[in-house]
Amino acid sequence: MAFIRRYIPLVTQSLKNVYIGEQRRKIHRWVAPTLMALKSRENKQGGKVINPRNTFLEWNLEAELYAFGKRLSENFDSDLLLQAFTDRSYVIKEEMKQKEMEFDIKMKDNRELAEEGRKFMEQYIQLYLETVLPKFPMEGIASIHNHLTSEKVLANVSLHLGTKDIILADEYPVDNYTLANAFKAIVGALLRSSGEEQAAHFVRDFVITNLQGQDVNEFWHIEDPWTMLTDLIAKTGSKLEPRLIGEVGKNTLLACYRVGLYLDKKMLSSGFGETVATAKEMAAREALKKIFGTEDNMYPINFKLNGIPKSSCNSRYQVSAS
Amino acid sequence: MSNSNLFLKSAFVRAPLQNGVGRYVCQLQRIVLKFCKSHGGSRGIRDFIEQDLVNFAKQNPSVVVYLKPRRHRSPAVVAEYLNGDRVWMSMHLKTHSEITKWIEVLRTQQGDVSGARLRKYQYTDHPSLQGPWTPFTFKDPELNVAQLPDPKFGANNRIPMSATEKLRIMFEKQKISDEEVKTGE
Repeated sequence: MAFIRRYIPLVTQSLKNVYIGEQRRKIHRWVAPTLMALKSRENKQGGKVINPRNTFLEWNLEAELYAFGKRLSENFDSDLLLQAFTDRSYVIKEEMKQKEMEFDIKMKDNRELAEEGRKFMEQYIQLYLETVLPKFPMEGIASIHNHLTSEKVLANVSLHLGTKDIILADEYPVDNYTLANAFKAIVGALLRSSGEEQAAHFVRDFVITNLQGQDVNEFWHIEDPWTMLTDLIAKTGSKLEPRLIGEVGKNTLLACYRVGLYLDKKMLSSGFGETVATAKEMAAREALKKIFGTEDNMYPINFKLNGIPKSSCNSRYQVSAS
Repeated sequence: MSNSNLFLKSAFVRAPLQNGVGRYVCQLQRIVLKFCKSHGGSRGIRDFIEQDLVNFAKQNPSVVVYLKPRRHRSPAVVAEYLNGDRVWMSMHLKTHSEITKWIEVLRTQQGDVSGARLRKYQYTDHPSLQGPWTPFTFKDPELNVAQLPDPKFGANNRIPMSATEKLRIMFEKQKISDEEVKTGE
């Protein structure tokens, strides 16, 4: 692109005095072959070279770290923040360099902070999910929790907070593991510099909001919903009865069956499918959603809970997914 | 020109990282002002730097501002965004007020928006609230208690009336009215 931009003024200048009949800017015939030749030369030398942003002339790490804190409207301890951005690989590289030049400056990497941040984040996310989804069983909470603390999600959050250029690592662009690790370390640094509540709100605003617009049932795959439902119902002592309440297009490709589940002769849920078995399974899934309070028309998850919610482990039930 | 010939990548209206659900994060992360200290083309940007830049930096502490004087080259502004976009904009011969406005645009946008073609002006993850349609979706509730077969529900009334049938009915009507006229006498 830079090549074209550089030569477009030349092209347009030479065309200024020429009458152009059609409303189209002419691009010379040599432009495409030249760009192709340049591209092939680049490929021969091993692809496009991406220069790390921090090797540019216009780079000031101190200013970047200050702006990073301001961007998130948090007050970080500047030493801790720098430590959070220092990856282990960078420290190793620097130590090798220092050995060659025979001097020794101690550097701290972010492993300790990341571990601290990870612990805090996992604990807080668990408590938060238990509070906003009060009827959802433990296994479901655990799978949402796993999704939120997965490397992919954390790396995405980290990338969108602008850590990519600031991270000190031996490679550029940094991989997902480093990004996620840096994010955990940032949480750790915030925990140390501003306290638990501030760190909790940080995690809530950037990690838990990833659930916005998502269906929480999608994160938990229930292998056999019918068995799970009957086990749950058996505890209450009621009787569950599936009934075929509609069938259309029997023995055709477009067959559709509808099964309703009745609990003490009152309809609990209904589901449809191309066979009776699928319809029954869908009805069971629908019923489970109703019991867990995660129907399609549930209220959106509350992302504004302040403070760290209290644990209520005793009331939570566990469903054994067979 | 069809869309496939356009050099614009297509996009939907999306907020990066649920921005605003938790807290608002300004998406402009750094801005580099490149200018010449003596050339006339940089006049506007020099005025901007002298009069407005300190205020801009004070009001937006989350944006890192770099100044890069370059001898005898035309001025440009490079804005870098949190999603990795980089917007280059020439400020050659632009006046002070124009530059103020353009920098406001760069500050408030969320990335390289002019480099993307919006497919639609709205976006949703869940296009249907009702779920997939089934033959039971809009079923008449009366059918639940009806005793089938029932001519009311079983009648084949889907085929439109043929021309012959229409003619026959018209003829019948005419005949009846003729008879009525006769009896009237």
